[in-house]
Amino acid sequence: MSTGILLGAAGCAAFAALLLGRWLPRLWLACVSVAGAAAFAASARVLSGSGEWQWRSVWTLGGQPVHLRFDALSALFLALVSVVGVAGAVYSRSYWSDEHAPDSAPRGRVAWIATLICMTLVLTASNGLHFLIAWELFAISAYFLLVLDGDNDEARSAGRLYLVASHAGTLCLFAFFSLLAYRTGSWDLGPMQGQAGVAPLFWLALLGFGVKAGLFPLHIWLPSAHANAPSHVSALMSGVAIKMGIYGILRFSGWLPAPAPAGWVLVGVGAISALYGIVFAFAQSDLKRLLAYCSVENIGIILMGIGGALIAARDGAPTWGVLLAAGALLHVWNHGSFKSLLFLGSGSIMHATGTRELSRLGGLWKRMPWTTALFALGAVAVSGLPPLNGFVSEWLVALGLFGAAASRSSVVWIAAPAAIALAAAGALALASFAKAASVACLGAPRSDAAASAHESPGLMRGPMVALGAVCATLALLPSVLWPALARAAAAWDPAYTSFAMPAPLAFLGGLQAAIAAAAVAAVLVLTTRAGRAGLRRALTWDCGYATPAPRIQYTAASFSGIAEGWFGWLLRPDRHAVPPRGILPGEAARTQRVPETVLEKVVGPIGGGVLWVSALARRLQHGRLQAYLLYILIGLIVLGTAVFLGALL
Amino acid sequence: MNETLNFLVGIAMGLNLLALGSSRLPSLIRTVAAQGITLGVMPLLIEHRLEWPVVLVACATVVGKGWVIPSLLRRAMRTANIDREIEPFLGFVPSLLLGAGGTIAAVALSRALPLLPEHVGSMLVPGALASVLTGFVLLIGRTKAISQVCGYLILENGIYLFGLLLIRATPMLVDAGILLDVTVGIFVIGIIVDRIQRAFDSLDTRKLTVLRE
Amino acid sequence: MTTALAIVCRLALCLLLAPLLPGIINKVKAWVAGRRGPPVLQLYFDLARLWKKGVVISELASPAFLAAPAVAWVAIVVASLLLPLGPAGASLSFKGDFIVLIYCLALARFCTVWAAMETGSAFEGMGSAREVSYAVLSEAAIITAMLALSVQTRSLSLAVMLAPATGAGALLLAGGLFTVLLAENCRVPFDDPNTHLELTMVHEVMILDHSGPPLAVILHGASLKLLLFALLLTQAVLPTGHLPHLWATFGVVAGVLIVTVGVGLVESLLARFAFRRVPLLLTTAFLLCLFALLVAWKGGAA
Repeated sequence: MSTGILLGAAGCAAFAALLLGRWLPRLWLACVSVAGAAAFAASARVLSGSGEWQWRSVWTLGGQPVHLRFDALSALFLALVSVVGVAGAVYSRSYWSDEHAPDSAPRGRVAWIATLICMTLVLTASNGLHFLIAWELFAISAYFLLVLDGDNDEARSAGRLYLVASHAGTLCLFAFFSLLAYRTGSWDLGPMQGQAGVAPLFWLALLGFGVKAGLFPLHIWLPSAHANAPSHVSALMSGVAIKMGIYGILRFSGWLPAPAPAGWVLVGVGAISALYGIVFAFAQSDLKRLLAYCSVENIGIILMGIGGALIAARDGAPTWGVLLAAGALLHVWNHGSFKSLLFLGSGSIMHATGTRELSRLGGLWKRMPWTTALFALGAVAVSGLPPLNGFVSEWLVALGLFGAAASRSSVVWIAAPAAIALAAAGALALASFAKAASVACLGAPRSDAAASAHESPGLMRGPMVALGAVCATLALLPSVLWPALARAAAAWDPAYTSFAMPAPLAFLGGLQAAIAAAAVAAVLVLTTRAGRAGLRRALTWDCGYATPAPRIQYTAASFSGIAEGWFGWLLRPDRHAVPPRGILPGEAARTQRVPETVLEKVVGPIGGGVLWVSALARRLQHGRLQAYLLYILIGLIVLGTAVFLGALL
Repeated sequence: MNETLNFLVGIAMGLNLLALGSSRLPSLIRTVAAQGITLGVMPLLIEHRLEWPVVLVACATVVGKGWVIPSLLRRAMRTANIDREIEPFLGFVPSLLLGAGGTIAAVALSRALPLLPEHVGSMLVPGALASVLTGFVLLIGRTKAISQVCGYLILENGIYLFGLLLIRATPMLVDAGILLDVTVGIFVIGIIVDRIQRAFDSLDTRKLTVLRE
Repeated sequence: MTTALAIVCRLALCLLLAPLLPGIINKVKAWVAGRRGPPVLQLYFDLARLWKKGVVISELASPAFLAAPAVAWVAIVVASLLLPLGPAGASLSFKGDFIVLIYCLALARFCTVWAAMETGSAFEGMGSAREVSYAVLSEAAIITAMLALSVQTRSLSLAVMLAPATGAGALLLAGGLFTVLLAENCRVPFDDPNTHLELTMVHEVMILDHSGPPLAVILHGASLKLLLFALLLTQAVLPTGHLPHLWATFGVVAGVLIVTVGVGLVESLLARFAFRRVPLLLTTAFLLCLFALLVAWKGGAA
């Protein structure tokens, strides 16, 4: 079957789901699954080397013929869309079911498939006008997904913030595409390396797509949107939707002749996003906010790879460049899989306990063994530890940066700081996820809700198991995936055509498998030995304290307290304390909250200033006709004076 | 010869960072003394022939910066009864990172400067820049007068390093200048510390803000 | 076949010799304090005894409590396989092996923290928080050290990176890596392995609730990690690649011994730092490595 037929089948199934999803949930799920399978098959075909697919219509839409192009780079992203799209759809059948939410569940089904369709259109559109239309529809359908829980004020305000931020980005894209069409004389998109005049437009694209990707400091909408959306929506937003921003940056850094400092800027912004994102993630006590900030970090890692690869492409694409390109592309998949897994896991936890506050959780492993195991798997993967998939892409990016540093050209000045930032971000990611997983799932329950939690039903566990399996596959078979990554890199930038697999990558896959096998063997030996030697349960060592309670466990905030102190200048936490007073102190309390610093301390005041000026201007608008006539008279006098003075001079 | 000189300048740059990172005043004073001695040896390495003015300058610098000023400072510290910097304006880790960043920037910058060909491979210029910067960080970031005096000394060491660049062109002038510098430095510091101490019973320069109108 | 045999031999050598180092450190400390001290082979006796003992685990702990020490041990063993042993070379050597080494150590840290948090103890949570926070700085330092070696040798594999000494940078690197060694292995002045007060511990407090065979595995893993860092430090400083084999072997062995004795001396002469001073010391280690990088780069360009 050709790529076109597969994509057509996917489109038909998706439209069927769009039309019927409101009333027929089972048919909707079947259609989404068929569409996802067909889209995945089409992506696999292109990634395995069947060449790019193009289609032009004879009719026009908005005065332009429709031009769809599906190459390896689009396929890489579409594969992710289809996997996470189907997993989230299955999950939502139980998590956001008709019994649970009779009004919003049908709406959610329609918005879900609409978002998937729009993302696919963004990935395939090859005409600036249609790209913009698809982008805008994607932003709006994602908004409807975000505010699915319409009764929740936080979700509604997060949705509004998302809409405003998203449109600010779209504004840049409007400017970008219209200027591009103006300079090139056509709305049609494609490689335009020869036209040096369009290079500066890259900065507009970076701004527009950067808002969607959640780059620092354009990420202001991201944490609250991802935290307050229903968890399957968070999984789609964090795993896939922000990758559309990455797709845009990749696409137009490949098609346009990128300006000279583009690579340096991308690596710098990436390093700052990585560090900033993970510092904020570590300081959070809200499970989903932590996950959301961690997305900023991972986007930063991807950008470091893209930027480094751009620098390398300018320098004639030495071997370290291809490592960075492949690392960035693989990290798109990796982050999509483990972040979706983690968000679905957090959804299971919320489903079971009704809270996402880490200091109310604890001891979930006893009642939720599946969720705990899968969440732990995701935590190891996102921390970039062997033998899971996050490590493979971080290894590629780190090795590329080291290769750049070892080349001893002037790239050292950016490669060495980026490598150090990557290492520090890795260590902080480990800290964040050791905290998130262990505070939520281990120890003793800190609240009644956590003590009476229940394992989630099979329809929710299934997608998580599937995503966990994707993580394991990506981890153990990097050499099998290499041709696909190489094709996507070649489709991105022609400088990366025909690169052979770096030798150590095949070795790394074997090593990962060996580590996993050795770990399993060691665990078996040790547990057998412990079982034979005699296993006894007793109280945790408590230093002889008479009345240990779950509340004395280390909390999420205390876990990150040390590092929070180091980064206090950046985090600016709000602290309120009522210290104990007197001999028999009555009430004492201490609350601490890490705000959305950029939003509340930078964007907020600026917005307040704009509102203040606008409020002043509004006083002019009071409805008295005489005064308006006075304005006109004053205007005429001022203009007349200006003209008179101009003539005089 | 040049290698040894670069090594000494490297040590001086390391001592800069040590000064930025030490919270105890005795160790800060010791660091400044060590830097003074390191700097004092340098003229002997630069001059090919050992003439008596050079030796005299070297001896004076070593004695002045390595022994006289530190012992004065130690005495002031003892009489004022303070031995550590408790609440600096700028924390120790940030000032250390600032100093390190400044040192790296100085090394990078000195490559771009139009230097005489014989000074190109030398570490004197980056060393001087880094010392001046370190001195400023100490002067700005610390609250105790003694730490600030140490900052001033390090700043002055940076200027001295710049002076060493000229030693071959105008040897006597530089020597005399350095000698004068040292003398004035000792007097000024001795007097200032004594005055502050007598007037305020403390060496905390934050208290000097009461002097404003 | 011969390569497999060689790998097994190297591995056995590391695994068998590792518990010697803590014994030497304790002997040095005892000698400085004028005591007789425990025998050098004490840790071997302890391990054998623990392996036979029964296990007491917390009522709150999940099965992963027993699994985590095993995974951590495997991670450290894999890391030690990647490290070259002087002229004998590494068991596994490829481009980017040093990144795998660092991340394997991170995996071991994750497992230790996981097991500590299993027990729901406030002490162990405190130890974990300290461990993961200090690791941020020490990981930055060690990556910078690797950058220095990599820039110096224009290579991306440990076997080549560790072959030559880094000249003037070697001193800086030695200082930085030694500090990282002390921090990562939880020695004085970062942590006191002998303390009995839970509030002041880092590593020891994380393993309070372990006993029997899992504790043996943890202790062995810790000694292996110490050996690994001592080897890394020695080879980063000594020009092992430029010496005849016999001398290189001798140099590596002597270097590891000197580092071990050095740790013992530091432990005898210094007190544990207050916790707020720890970041300062680790930042210093990071800066030492950073200047080693600068020297390596400047040396290469000139």
